[in-house]
Amino acid sequence: QTVLKSSDTHPDGYPTVEGVKYFGELVKERTAGRYAVEVYHSAQLGEEKDTIEQVRSGVIELNRVSMAPFNGTVKETIVPALPYIFRSEEHMHKVMDGAIGDQIKAAFEPAGLVALAFYDAGARSFYNKQKPINSVADMKGLKFRVIQSDIFVDMVAALGANATPMPYGEVYSAIETGVIDGAENNFPSYDTAKHFEVAKNFSLDEHTILPEVFVMNKAAFDKLTPEDQAIFKQAAKDSVAKQRELWAAKTAESRSKVEAAGAKITTPDKQGFIDAMNPVYDKHITDPVLKKLVEDVQAVQ
Amino acid sequence: MPAKLERSAKALSWLSTLSLWLAGAGLVVMTAIVAWQVFCRYVLNDSPSWTEPGAVMLMSWFIFLGAAVGVRENYHMGFDVLLYVMPKGGKAWLRMISDIVAFAFGIGMVWYGSQLVMLTWNTTLPSLRISGGWDYVPLVAGGTLICLFSLERMVLRLAGQPIDDILDELPPAEVAAELDTAKVKA
Amino acid sequence: MEILILFGVFTLLMLIGTPIAFCLGVASFATVLYMGLPPLVIFQRLNSGMSVFSLLAIPFFIYAGDLMVRGGIAQKIIAFAASLVGHIRGGLGQVNIVTATLFGGISGSAVAEAAAVGGVMIPQMKQRGYGADYAVNITSMAALIALMLPPSHNMIIYSISAGGKISIADLFTAGVIPGLLYAAALMVTAYFVARSRGYPTEPFPGFAKVGQYFLISIPGLLLIGIIFGGVRSGVFTATESSCIAVLYALAVTAFVYRRMTWNDFVHATFGAVRTTAMVLLIIGMAAAFSWLMAFLRVPASLIAWMNTISDNPIIILLLINVLMLVLGTFMDMGPTIIICTPIFLPVAVAYGIDPVHFGVIMILNFGIGLNTPPVGAVQFVACAVGKISVWEAMRSIWPFYAAGLVVLGLVTYIPALSLWLPSVFK
Ligand code: NA
Ligand code: NA
Repeated sequence: QTVLKSSDTHPDGYPTVEGVKYFGELVKERTAGRYAVEVYHSAQLGEEKDTIEQVRSGVIELNRVSMAPFNGTVKETIVPALPYIFRSEEHMHKVMDGAIGDQIKAAFEPAGLVALAFYDAGARSFYNKQKPINSVADMKGLKFRVIQSDIFVDMVAALGANATPMPYGEVYSAIETGVIDGAENNFPSYDTAKHFEVAKNFSLDEHTILPEVFVMNKAAFDKLTPEDQAIFKQAAKDSVAKQRELWAAKTAESRSKVEAAGAKITTPDKQGFIDAMNPVYDKHITDPVLKKLVEDVQAVQ
Repeated sequence: MPAKLERSAKALSWLSTLSLWLAGAGLVVMTAIVAWQVFCRYVLNDSPSWTEPGAVMLMSWFIFLGAAVGVRENYHMGFDVLLYVMPKGGKAWLRMISDIVAFAFGIGMVWYGSQLVMLTWNTTLPSLRISGGWDYVPLVAGGTLICLFSLERMVLRLAGQPIDDILDELPPAEVAAELDTAKVKA
Repeated sequence: MEILILFGVFTLLMLIGTPIAFCLGVASFATVLYMGLPPLVIFQRLNSGMSVFSLLAIPFFIYAGDLMVRGGIAQKIIAFAASLVGHIRGGLGQVNIVTATLFGGISGSAVAEAAAVGGVMIPQMKQRGYGADYAVNITSMAALIALMLPPSHNMIIYSISAGGKISIADLFTAGVIPGLLYAAALMVTAYFVARSRGYPTEPFPGFAKVGQYFLISIPGLLLIGIIFGGVRSGVFTATESSCIAVLYALAVTAFVYRRMTWNDFVHATFGAVRTTAMVLLIIGMAAAFSWLMAFLRVPASLIAWMNTISDNPIIILLLINVLMLVLGTFMDMGPTIIICTPIFLPVAVAYGIDPVHFGVIMILNFGIGLNTPPVGAVQFVACAVGKISVWEAMRSIWPFYAAGLVVLGLVTYIPALSLWLPSVFK
């Protein structure tokens, strides 16, 4: 039996971890126990940037990571990461399950990776301690912690707010003391990181609906027989449905929990936010391949 | 000391001093960068996104440069309990093994550090907009210096230079520290 | 076999006096070579283990400390403190602990605290005739107060590792009484050790002198206020405050006390480079070593074994504490919390232990592990600042370990110490 090692930064029981575990069960069953998957959750093997290098160099075979760290390597991943590119989660599912998703998956191969599946990671929205956000004007002057990404920094600037990159572990106390006014994330992270305790205004602007990616080392994948390759691909596809189900349940649970704890959730008018993104798109989408990809995504109904 | 050995020892001494100055400059610039980050956010209300990764990258440089100098100046911390009770000849052998260990690890830093540079050369670091390979260049540079400095110690020892005697004759760390403090104006 | 190589090579090299950083690195290197894994992962972990923004607090607080010592700030603060409590036996040790408690309220990092307080206090204690080992041990043990008092990043890591089912506000509040209890236990221990060693007392100089020393030391003391005020009012984060400390120390020594010459500045800078390079190299190497332990499932196998031993909650808590102490000996705090919380917490909860209470136990336990070789970041910092070997510190640290373990026992078996204060705020 060959045991394949997979990394995840989320804790045990998190939908992405459970999705990969389910993938492992299916693979084990369908290869009659010749292959099994062991998930190293909770960033035991390192943060995403590190585990990506590990899976590319073959230290581990599998990895579940977000797509943002690939923006510098696999340029096609920039498109789904664009702010307000997806109108809704349904729109995202349609795009990523279809031909465009396959095009993005194929783009991982030159980096030595096989993208097996896209997993749900929900929609990221802004939250802050100052005031509810109902329009772009309300964003003016607020300081938000964002991840280390030029697109995010430019998005926040385009909305009239101030982006402050900062280590994730410092965000809670930084909001509490007022170094920053807030941050942005999905409901489960807003809940588990306890940021709802210090930043009560959650504005459902859903600026990014970026799925996460489940990748395999290409050399390890190529070593499989064509039959096994098909089994792996099908098992990954089957695990997506399971993961989406778990994710939806997790989001609903977190949302009701933060609401019970006093978080105020508002739904701002999204059009103003979308309109403000034109300069961001102009700056980051100069490559003709990406321009075409953006148009294709927007054309999906 | 043979003239050739003396010349290379001089060159390495110069290299070590240069590394120390570069590392010190790195620390000063790092201070300036983080101060600039606070100033921009609080006074200009506009946070630059390059300050954090920039400061962290400078930190790798000064750690690896400073660590390499530490090999030459022999200030890395270890359990020296066995060294205290060993006879002189045995001590030299144990120190030889430690130098070989440092040398071997330095080789690893250069070899695998270069592989990491190549693996990540085509990636781009967010905010800094330079190749991701730069993350690992300090590792390679530090490894090169560690190899050179540990090799120097081995060669000098084999050439019969009294590098270990100097260590043995140094006052215990505690007293040396007192001497150092005494040098500071009270 | 892999585990044997990892620990065997490490122990062997450590015994022959190889620097600890290289013991950790080469043991990990040898193990991956044996396992046939690409060795580049060791060097990647080394690099990323030290490339963490929050670690900047270590060089900055060490640098600020060096500047304060070279530029006369430290001497003036200590002169004031000594005039105030120097007539109590072991007075500077007590001052060290009280200072650490004050600093603990502004810093969440025990490593940074050891650098900040130790950088000021250890040279002064040595100058006034205290043994370097005594000064180092008091500093390293007192630094753990920073973990217990808010703010504490490690408590946030614990909460996130527990799947976010634990309120960080409750955790912060729960740590206060155990933290103060721990400080008190250290002060008592410091008193008795000082008495048995016959450390000198100093004559009480009179209130006029105390007032005079206070006035002279105000510009230096203001630093605590600036850090505290700056962090509390949100001008800068805890990590950034360490950089502000450097700038402030430089400004006061150069322009107020006018003691900082170019030569002093260069020496302080080189001193900070040497100390931090040494400490952070060990932290990076330890990250590689810890990665391999996780990869080899060492912690998980330990716990599987523990579950077969007993079902008495008192015994289980004792076992968990002993196992965590062992793991903390070999691993760094952050990764240990992340790996152990999902495994130990369900066991603890099954035996009726409140998750907030368990978090305080875990933080204090792993905190003590920061002061145990071979992987003890706080101890390494304190030793580096005190310029003594870990071995020298270990010879006389036992009374302080005993104090820490007694408090750990009290915190473990008296839940009210942790849970009463949070209940008041509800
Ligand atoms: Na604290
Ligand atoms: Na330890």
